[in-house]
Amino acid sequence: QELKFANFTPPFHTVNASVIEKLNADLSAATGGSLTVRGYHGGELGAGPVEQYVRAVQGVADITWGLPGYTSQQFQKTMIVELPGVVPEGKSGADALCDAMDEISGEFPGTVPVALWTSEPNIMIMKDKVVRTPEDLAGLKIRVAGATAGKVAEALGATPVQMPINQVYNALQTGLIDGVFTGSSTLNDFKLDEVADAFTIGAPLGRLAFFAVMGQNAYNGLSDDAKAAFDANSGCALGNNAETAWNATGEEGVARARQDGKNTFVDLTPEQAQAFADAVSGVVAEYVASVGGEAALAAMQE
Amino acid sequence: MSASVAGLLGIVALFALLILRVPVAFAMFVVGFLGIWALNGLNAATSLLASEAFTLASSPELVVIPLFILMGNVASHTGMSRQLFDAAYAVIGSIRGGLASATVIGCGGFAALSGSSVASALTMGKVALAEMERFKYDDRLSTGVVAAGGTLGILIPPSTGFVIYAILTEQSIGRLFLAGVLPGILLLSLFVLAVSVLCMLRPDFGPAGPSTTFGEKLRALSGAGPIVGVIFLTIGGMYGGLFSPVEAAAVGAGAVIVIGAVTRKLKLSMLWSAAKDSVVTTATVMLILIAAHMINPFLALSHMTELVGEFFVSLELGATGSLLVILAIYIVLGCFLEGFAMLVLTLPIFFPIVLELGIDPIWFGVLVVLALEMGLISPPVGLNVFIVKSVAPGVSLGRIFTGVILFWVMMLVTLAILVAFPQISLFLPNTMIN
Amino acid sequence: MIGLSAAIGSTALILIVVVILVDVVGRAFGNPLYGGQDITTMAAVILVFAPMALCDRMGGHISVDLFERYFPDGMNRAIDISVAAIGAVIFATLAWATWASAKLSVMLNLSTNLLYLPKAYFQWATIAFMLLAALGLALRAVELATTGRDVRTEIKR
Ligand code: NA
Ligand code: NA
Repeated sequence: QELKFANFTPPFHTVNASVIEKLNADLSAATGGSLTVRGYHGGELGAGPVEQYVRAVQGVADITWGLPGYTSQQFQKTMIVELPGVVPEGKSGADALCDAMDEISGEFPGTVPVALWTSEPNIMIMKDKVVRTPEDLAGLKIRVAGATAGKVAEALGATPVQMPINQVYNALQTGLIDGVFTGSSTLNDFKLDEVADAFTIGAPLGRLAFFAVMGQNAYNGLSDDAKAAFDANSGCALGNNAETAWNATGEEGVARARQDGKNTFVDLTPEQAQAFADAVSGVVAEYVASVGGEAALAAMQE
Repeated sequence: MSASVAGLLGIVALFALLILRVPVAFAMFVVGFLGIWALNGLNAATSLLASEAFTLASSPELVVIPLFILMGNVASHTGMSRQLFDAAYAVIGSIRGGLASATVIGCGGFAALSGSSVASALTMGKVALAEMERFKYDDRLSTGVVAAGGTLGILIPPSTGFVIYAILTEQSIGRLFLAGVLPGILLLSLFVLAVSVLCMLRPDFGPAGPSTTFGEKLRALSGAGPIVGVIFLTIGGMYGGLFSPVEAAAVGAGAVIVIGAVTRKLKLSMLWSAAKDSVVTTATVMLILIAAHMINPFLALSHMTELVGEFFVSLELGATGSLLVILAIYIVLGCFLEGFAMLVLTLPIFFPIVLELGIDPIWFGVLVVLALEMGLISPPVGLNVFIVKSVAPGVSLGRIFTGVILFWVMMLVTLAILVAFPQISLFLPNTMIN
Repeated sequence: MIGLSAAIGSTALILIVVVILVDVVGRAFGNPLYGGQDITTMAAVILVFAPMALCDRMGGHISVDLFERYFPDGMNRAIDISVAAIGAVIFATLAWATWASAKLSVMLNLSTNLLYLPKAYFQWATIAFMLLAALGLALRAVELATTGRDVRTEIKR
């Protein structure tokens, strides 16, 4: 049996090797080749990240991956993991999500979670503006992904601007926006390293969360052996594998950008970072309270 | 029945339905829906139908389509496009085919504003077609020039075609944009040359107007002031970082509405009918785009493109031979696939081969985008021809397809020149980006 | 009905122009419109589907007319009737598929990201427009089959 894994990004994207190919290799090995996974890349089975969850529920593909941030109302508690300072130092986002599974599993109806993970922490990717203190952000136009990220930008004194990620390149180039707060893997994925020239690292800006899910019907259709193999090879370990790969891609992007002479890098000291942390501290508490997520937060931080 | 046989049957069925005059969108819906049903079940087919329809209709990028149509509609309702063409006519109307050449140049200018060929053809169609009719131009030339000129939208930056190519192949967007500039100018010049030669041989296609005095020229030019101002405002604001390319469409539409209101040429009833006309045209175009997105998953599930790729590798051609065969495949696929769907389906197969053969990926990107442009005007599924048809309902599709032949040949010539002289594509990116 | 539906589409288009202009001007002064993109994308959904019924009645759906003159009259008539019927089935299927998807949107609490506009509301609206288009096409098929009347030739473009 061949499972269809829909991927809206190109075949060389980090997700392919770290999740799709890995799942294929592990399941093939565990079942002697009777259960395999085939990736459909670049949105071949339906474009864009927004509808991926729905496509798994309805069986367009057996497995899909996506970002809770595109439909944040569905993932109110899962989204807590994206907030600044939630994931403790030394713990992976994948483990934080695993620990909070009892609290957040209700946000995944109609599917079986295959892996949950987060990106490397967000950094400031700026053009012509070097940021060292929250004051440096005053009035700057910053592209943000969703409502909570917008609150973070606002708390820092910036003006949050909403726009699709694939328009960010052009917007940075023309000066329509001054910067973007996002994971460093976008430097490569969306070519932002070509247009940005100032980077600030170390401020608590949160991170992005990701899910891979299998449609409940597809899961129910597996044989008992296949189910056992699937259960053994998905979940926390696969999530951590994805997260490690994500971090590596992000670090690669940052390392490459550091070598480029045109770029200014600001690595905040703990004292400098504290000023940013103070500014955004209210955002986390407010959001967690608004979604009744105290238990989920505690589980993520345990 | 194997998946690839189903894919082949689907393509044959699509051709048959089109020949039987089934509307393009309907034909693609039927084939895509039944094909996905056959290969992946009814649930998958209905689910994709709903999700593609909603995703495309709510796409932040595609909002430019109704906005640019509105801009073109208001400009023509208020007489602004008439003034623009009066100016062009006063200046170069005495040359045979002058207005058609001016339209090509206008398309090139609009391409610097819009990243989409569809938006270019729609807007220029709204502005230029009625005007060329007024000056007794043959409708094959006028529609052909707009359909073909509109395709410049994805060769001259900004270009959604290059953006998608860049993201699918990990290439630099900036280098690709620069690489498109000279080929875009070359193609534009060849279009103008083709118009001039055609009208020299067949004066009835683009009759020469009377010659005008300097005073008349000046008066006509000043009349075109407002619309030229709008064009500079939108292009300038976009490159100056005041608004995004999508927002530029709204600013352009807003500006022509304001000018129309201030000069009292635009009545509320007129704006209302321009808006209604715009949304009807949008419905036509979006339904075709949504339907085209049903064909894409069907072909992906059929693994047809992989089959083509494997066959191709088995031929073991050299670099030049492979390049020519790949481009030929793109030109053939372009006859019945929507351009971006084609990139998504084929690049994962062809691009590794291209890299292995040592073909410059930026150069290849330019060639692929030019091949996509040819697909946009080649029958039976020529998106830009359908676009022009939607703004020129009185002209038969057959006449429009006849009209684009000449320009299609010019594209083939350009493609040959670009293959022979890679430096035309690579000069700017190699000199301007270290 | 069809006129009203197209008017809703026109209103959505004007709304988009206004929202983007307010956003652009506001942003220049440091105050972009909160959730502007949420409004424009959802208005675009209305804009695209509201005029579908009128689009068909105006003969807006493009077909390849290269071979029409080679077909016998009876065949062309049969094609016209079948095409209208197929169109009705397509729009009815679209409506049905969107209905199923809207149920899922309710279950998953799907909405836009800043203003939390519920996706299902807009899906229900499009279902109404799709059904209207399906009805219009079905009516045209019946008219063509019984009286030979082709509404597309009567409505001025
Ligand atoms: Na362009
Ligand atoms: Na074509």
